[in-house]
Amino acid sequence: MKPKLTFALTALVLTLAIGVTAAFAGTTRSSADPGVTSTSILLGTTSPLSGVASAYASVARGADAYFKYVNARGGVNGRKISDTIVDDQYNPQQTVLATRKLVEQDGVFAMFNTLGTEQNLAIRDYLNANKVPQLFAASGATAFGSESAKYPYTIGLQPSYQAEGWVLGKYLARTQGSAKVAVLFQNDDYGKDLLNGLKKGMQRSKARVVAAEPFEATAPDVQSQMAKLRSSGASTLAIFATPKHAIQAYVFANRLNWKPKLTLTNAVASASNIMLLASEGGKNKVVEGSVSIVFLKDPTDPKWKNDAAMKLYRSIMKRYAASANVDDVYHVYGMAAAWTAVEALRKAGKNLTRSGLVKVTSSMNFSGNPFLLPGIGLKTGPGDHFPIEQMVLQRWHKGSWKSFGGIWGYRTA
Amino acid sequence: MADFMQQVVVGLSSGSIYASLALALVLIHRATGVINFAQGEMATLSTYIAWTLTTNHGWSYWPAFAFTLIASFVGGVAIHQGVIRPNEKGSVLRVVIVTIGLLLAINGLVTLIWSGEVRAVPSPFPTRTIEIGGVAISIQDIGTIGVVLATVVVLWLMFQYTKVGLAMRAAAVNPAEARLVGVRVTWMLSLGWGLAAVLGAISGMLAAPSVFLDPNLMAALLIYAFAAAVLGGIDSPIGAVVGGLVLGVGLNLLGTYVDFVGADLRLPGALLVILVVLLVKPSGIFGKTEVKRV
Amino acid sequence: MSRARWLAPVVAFVALAFLVAVLPSFISAFRAQQLAYVAIYLIALIGLNVLTGYTGQISLGHGAFMAIGGYTTAILIADHGVKDIWTIPIAGILTGVVGFLFGIPALRLSGLYLALATFAIAVSMPAVIKRFEGFTGGGSGINLFGLPDLTASLTPVTVLGRELTFNDWLYYLCWTIALVGYVVAWLLLRGRTGRAFRAVRDSETAAQSSGVSLPKYKTLAFGVSAAYAGVAGSLFAIATTFVNPDTFPIALSILLLVGVVVGGLGSLVGLIAGAVFIQFLPIWSQEVSKSPGAPAIVSGVVLIALMFVLPMGFAGLLARVRTLTKR
Repeated sequence: MKPKLTFALTALVLTLAIGVTAAFAGTTRSSADPGVTSTSILLGTTSPLSGVASAYASVARGADAYFKYVNARGGVNGRKISDTIVDDQYNPQQTVLATRKLVEQDGVFAMFNTLGTEQNLAIRDYLNANKVPQLFAASGATAFGSESAKYPYTIGLQPSYQAEGWVLGKYLARTQGSAKVAVLFQNDDYGKDLLNGLKKGMQRSKARVVAAEPFEATAPDVQSQMAKLRSSGASTLAIFATPKHAIQAYVFANRLNWKPKLTLTNAVASASNIMLLASEGGKNKVVEGSVSIVFLKDPTDPKWKNDAAMKLYRSIMKRYAASANVDDVYHVYGMAAAWTAVEALRKAGKNLTRSGLVKVTSSMNFSGNPFLLPGIGLKTGPGDHFPIEQMVLQRWHKGSWKSFGGIWGYRTA
Repeated sequence: MADFMQQVVVGLSSGSIYASLALALVLIHRATGVINFAQGEMATLSTYIAWTLTTNHGWSYWPAFAFTLIASFVGGVAIHQGVIRPNEKGSVLRVVIVTIGLLLAINGLVTLIWSGEVRAVPSPFPTRTIEIGGVAISIQDIGTIGVVLATVVVLWLMFQYTKVGLAMRAAAVNPAEARLVGVRVTWMLSLGWGLAAVLGAISGMLAAPSVFLDPNLMAALLIYAFAAAVLGGIDSPIGAVVGGLVLGVGLNLLGTYVDFVGADLRLPGALLVILVVLLVKPSGIFGKTEVKRV
Repeated sequence: MSRARWLAPVVAFVALAFLVAVLPSFISAFRAQQLAYVAIYLIALIGLNVLTGYTGQISLGHGAFMAIGGYTTAILIADHGVKDIWTIPIAGILTGVVGFLFGIPALRLSGLYLALATFAIAVSMPAVIKRFEGFTGGGSGINLFGLPDLTASLTPVTVLGRELTFNDWLYYLCWTIALVGYVVAWLLLRGRTGRAFRAVRDSETAAQSSGVSLPKYKTLAFGVSAAYAGVAGSLFAIATTFVNPDTFPIALSILLLVGVVVGGLGSLVGLIAGAVFIQFLPIWSQEVSKSPGAPAIVSGVVLIALMFVLPMGFAGLLARVRTLTKR
């Protein structure tokens, strides 16, 4: 019995092993600047396609649709752009693995539009050490622009969260000089950046933050925090949250019979569809008069109904992302990012290299991005690694956003 | 003082939601001895069904609500008969893995069909707020607590005074002997799953008007519901409600008045308290201590 | 023990070791890195199996033990300039002690309550890590890539005369530790300790009346399994070169339990299949479909199907093969 058993077991193990090996056989790739051929450019993106942050998957989807549109017109310098999107489920460990796969196995030319602050932080050192561009990271964390000396291959795109908070704070300082502000903020870099920006913007006025309540991204509801903020007696409320909790903040403020004189909210939390949900069919009056910032064209804003760029946006979505929700402004962001990428790749020339691309993005001066508000440009230079620093204020009035005032630019003074 | 009372009121509001999901967990455990990790996701699916009926098909609230409950019941029974029953004979972990598989599959299904966008669900209660002594109390919350208490009473009556309830208890405690006296054990277990699914649907419908609907509606709530159920005693519906309310109020007071706890340690703090309670009384506040036969 | 009885496992083990040593020459460096993660999961699964499979105590919190090991390593490498290899045993011992200490109050909890208590710890761990920001780097985490004490991340390392790049180095490091851990567990479980564990699992009262000290063996099981998880966590941090609270989510703890059940409780052999399963299932699911939510559906359905087809896990499959070849 025994020799037969031994033989059988050994045979089984070896067979399994060989089978497993055969299934896994892969090849390594090596080249001067991978991801570029005479007819194609390969980009890689990680995105939370599933899991808690799947609402942000629209960012990658919008960009992908735009690339397809550009390809149908011949691409960039004769090359078609292909963007491989991998699901990282918003878990930075998955982002690391997916990024390594894209760089080492798929041989992408650059990582593009990867979503999430922690997610981008997790891969930043790896990408820079391997001299792979981390192009237009989809995160407003200040670190991606302020640490460019150490991480030259990394660049963000959207206005930093601190800049956003700063603009809101400055607006508050100018219009409600001695306001008492209560802030609800998400307890991570995102929320804290916004809060710090707000405080900085308010610095040279008598307005003060009298209460700041953090909440965890995993909290089921923010009722308790809203109750605490209400009891602070503040007249201004600032909501620095992600969509679901922002809606809750409005709803609970209403339930607590609290109507702040002014409510401020940040861009991510204030897309039109979110504000509409928060208004609870018109019954919630807290949303009326809310002020936020915007730098993209919102598809639900009636102002852009006949705008050429938004018509283009809709036609691209219809052609290349028909099942997606066209009113979702994150798609517009994705296209804005893709437009910028196409411009940068075009400028980097026929002889496309990674270092060449980084040179272009470090001294950009693009205007005319159709998806950004008119007048908002993309500019970087020595000492300024933040492409978009301008935004416009908008006020929610009777069911839609109305921009007012001119373009605000962020100054670190 | 008004601030303190406000936190208590708000805590009761959140706590009643934890309690409603905890009831589903308690029911399933009491009727079948199983911890159903997919309970939350099933509730989310039920809520989406209600949402799509009212929003996309123009049904009015109560018919949609009724249809959802019936669909949830059928779904619960079907899941038990199709997927759980064949695995009941094995180790308890097999069933646990199956419920984990259900959790993944249902969460994925919901995301696939309805995407991750946040949705609004109508509430059966008016959203007015009354104010007593500076403390705002919303009618919605009073209604929610009312429903939860009514559910507990109904469950209690069912288990104590009806033949079906007795049969369910017998099937859970001693299936072999129950069969001998003519109880159709498998169907009793399925009934348990069906009823738990109904309770989950009710929980989702109570929660969604306030916290809004997305695929992760229940994922965040599940751990709180577990905590409430364990605190109150995993086999006691009354315990689930008491546990939920105590948890809701306790969490708020901890977060508001204990500086060290702050925002991040709210949940861990509560879980720690529950662990301590368990160490002192291992079967929870209202639980019965298990007697093991050698 | 008769010579023939241990001959079979030893031969199988040697074949496995040989395969592990030789495989990298046939596969890409990237695949090697994926297989390194298989080894990491295997180490964690061995530990969890000791606790759940052999001693019958369900843990839904082993991701938290991995987190302790991972953060120990990260903090030692980043803040204290300790070479990564030396942090591994430190992480293992530290986590083992924590596990042992947890086992003491856990004695009062059984079955379901223990499962929920460990679940609670796993859920709380990310929040606790974030709270002690000054120590753990909070939400931004700790980055290890490129640090001098992280072997081979920037420049290849020479081992036994061979030059290894990062991925290959990870592969050999993780598999060597996994194989050693495997042998240690096998020796531990073969002897008196293993029999005591199994006695506790099968019937606590019977075990007690035969003189097996419940507190001793239950806490020992916790300590040992936590130590393995700590080592796995340490390697996890080294391989990922980044730790933050979200790299050890509750999903990880659940994944480990899935791995142990799919591999086969109470058996070491199936665990390799379990580790391969939990590493590659998410990847394979994405190959099937990338529509939002579809991979999760695939994973869920596969899990359920697996419980139907292989109720005793892969170990059960092997056992069936074994009985077939016996005739």
